[in-house]
Amino acid sequence: MNDPIPVIPARGPQVLYRAPREWSRMHPVSPLLGGWAVMAVALTIAAYNIAPSWTGVDPGVQEIAHVVTRSILWFIAGVLVIMALTVGFGYLQWRVNEFRLSDDAIQQRKGILVKQLKQARLDRLQAVDVVQPLLARIFGFAALKIEVAGGEGSGIVLQFLRLGEAEAIRNELLVLAAGVKRAKAEGADASLEAVTSRIADARAGTPVQGADALVEEDPAEPSAPAAAYATSGSLRDLAGMPAGVAEVSESAERRMYEVPLPRLIASILLSWATVWLVLVPVLLAVGIIIFGRVVQDFVFAAAGGSLVAMLPLLFGILGYFWSRLSGGFGFTAAISEDGIRLKHGLTETRRQTVPPGRVQAIRFEQSLLWRGKDWWRVTINVAGYQDNAEQVSTLLPVGTRQDALTALWLVLPDLGDPDPAGTVSLALSGAGDEGGFTPVPARARIFDPIQWRQRGVRATDRALLIRRGRLVREVFVVPHERTQSLGLSQGPWQKRRGLATFTVHSTNGPVKPVAEHLDVDDARALLEAQGRRAAEGRRHQTPEQWMSAVGISDAGTADGGTASAGASPGTDGGPRDAAVPGAGDDVVTGVGQARPPEGDPGAPREGSA
Amino acid sequence: MTLFEPDAADWQYVSRKLIPARIITLWLWIAIPLLASVVLGILASAWVFTAAGVALIVGLWGSWLVYRQVTAHAWVEREDDLVVKKGRMWRTVTVVPYGRMQYVEVQAGPIARAFGIANVQLHTASPGTDAAIAGVPESEAARLRDRLTSRGEAQLAGL
Repeated sequence: MNDPIPVIPARGPQVLYRAPREWSRMHPVSPLLGGWAVMAVALTIAAYNIAPSWTGVDPGVQEIAHVVTRSILWFIAGVLVIMALTVGFGYLQWRVNEFRLSDDAIQQRKGILVKQLKQARLDRLQAVDVVQPLLARIFGFAALKIEVAGGEGSGIVLQFLRLGEAEAIRNELLVLAAGVKRAKAEGADASLEAVTSRIADARAGTPVQGADALVEEDPAEPSAPAAAYATSGSLRDLAGMPAGVAEVSESAERRMYEVPLPRLIASILLSWATVWLVLVPVLLAVGIIIFGRVVQDFVFAAAGGSLVAMLPLLFGILGYFWSRLSGGFGFTAAISEDGIRLKHGLTETRRQTVPPGRVQAIRFEQSLLWRGKDWWRVTINVAGYQDNAEQVSTLLPVGTRQDALTALWLVLPDLGDPDPAGTVSLALSGAGDEGGFTPVPARARIFDPIQWRQRGVRATDRALLIRRGRLVREVFVVPHERTQSLGLSQGPWQKRRGLATFTVHSTNGPVKPVAEHLDVDDARALLEAQGRRAAEGRRHQTPEQWMSAVGISDAGTADGGTASAGASPGTDGGPRDAAVPGAGDDVVTGVGQARPPEGDPGAPREGSA
Repeated sequence: MTLFEPDAADWQYVSRKLIPARIITLWLWIAIPLLASVVLGILASAWVFTAAGVALIVGLWGSWLVYRQVTAHAWVEREDDLVVKKGRMWRTVTVVPYGRMQYVEVQAGPIARAFGIANVQLHTASPGTDAAIAGVPESEAARLRDRLTSRGEAQLAGL
């Protein structure tokens, strides 16, 4: 059975859907794409076989390798048999692995002995990734990962589909998810059928410019796009397509930043791993030269004269290099109406789409070695990203301060501060009470002799900023409405010094915001205030705000009909909404908002080391 | 002075029955090394009795800790959130907004059931949220769960 493209009649013109409404299987080559692991094992055995003795391979293991490969014919036959078994088993699994788009969720059923039925509700969609491992990439296939907030293994993985199909399904899911959310916010019928027919109706009714009228350097047609998006809203492209088009095209995106390869490589070399790699042999050599035989004997005894003993360490460091390189290779970030788009990967490419408002917390990080260049690394928490968090939770592997500010702006266009660039800059490299931060008292010095001056917290109208670290500078940013819960803790020694630790509990991920050793009264006040701000934030959160703030949609200025779903008048976006029609210079405008900081004269760029 | 004293806080302390329940669990663990060292002391050398003494002291100290901890463990339901406090040496306060609750779990092991108490735990989308109330009387636990759930539904916010 080939690519299932069921055609279902909708109200109005016919639509050809890519996400199947009936149970359908993955692409038939899927089991073959999984067979590479066997090859890897075979290659490893072969490598052991020919490894010369100076590498210090375990003779026992090598003997086994010799036995296994005594007859090359038998060896090949064995590999073929194992591969056939793997592929055969994979084929059986493929036969029972099916997915479909049901009424309000994408469902997957699989399992030969143990049957499993999973579903990911569209309104709970956290992120959709298109992942291409090397082999799949060579042949033009991709896996689609649909993340919902539900803990480990709750996401749905469809592997493998044709790349084009995977992308089409992703686009459709994102549009539908936005539509379902919108319908819910409006209190309308949020069933899939209703949403699709509304999209179809909207399409029949309105001639809309192509999606590229959206964000590309379109120098301000204040009213025309506004009218168009008043009717299509976030259901844009479906509405813009001619009848019968087979798939939802990707929404237009605006590239925000990328990571050039030289910078990536330099950043990897400027890491502690390199320092270790260089320092350890140098120190040993120096030791041998100075102290002579004693150290030499000791070193050789420790190393056991065997390279193999050193291998795990070496592999660890090389693995670190590799993961940083492959994860950050060709990194680009863009915004589109679907949300934030990230694209990266060397052998395995990954295209992530995080819908608006799904980022739970942000962390900026700068090690001592990066300070001269003022480079920053930005990681995020997204609910649903559970496994290999390091790879998927990076918003910016390495970037200038400008890039870092842009990254923050992507996530949180409105920081709720009159001078966002300045505030964040002070957060990144300030100390004490600079930038309106609440510092920790000098009493905390005994716990924190090095970094106590760097510690501080500050709340803006929309987010909490926590600064810490001297050798490795870190800043946490948590939007108020994303706060899960708050904690205050105090140990016996902190108690004696009148200090307490304030924690913001965020969803699972690499970012764990915590402000240690605050003055106990400050901490108490912060706990109370944050509780209030979080409650306030929860009442006002809407994805439409994100879109209008990053300049993608004009929700709010439109005639109210379909547009401003949750952005009811009176939301704190008053000035922003008012500013949109005047957008002349750039799509991004607004009073008192964070804007992409390029060319912002207000951004202090102190070179403090 | 407590770590966090919200305005008009009407702390509800957990049931004192939690003290015997926890002490029994504690002594079940202490009993193993205690008995072992007593038996060894009789069979082998009298020196082993010191180990028994240590186990005894640890048990007594633990019992005192249990008493101190339980009497410091309380919660208060406020308009928008639930506040749980615990600990005396290492004190923590957790504030969980009702709108962030994913589910409420009520749990009771055999010992807790014998004392008619239960453990009520709130779960948010964050693994860091440590909002467990140990030792809520059983009838109250069910009521608390229902109340929290209904408030959570009323204020539920998307993630």
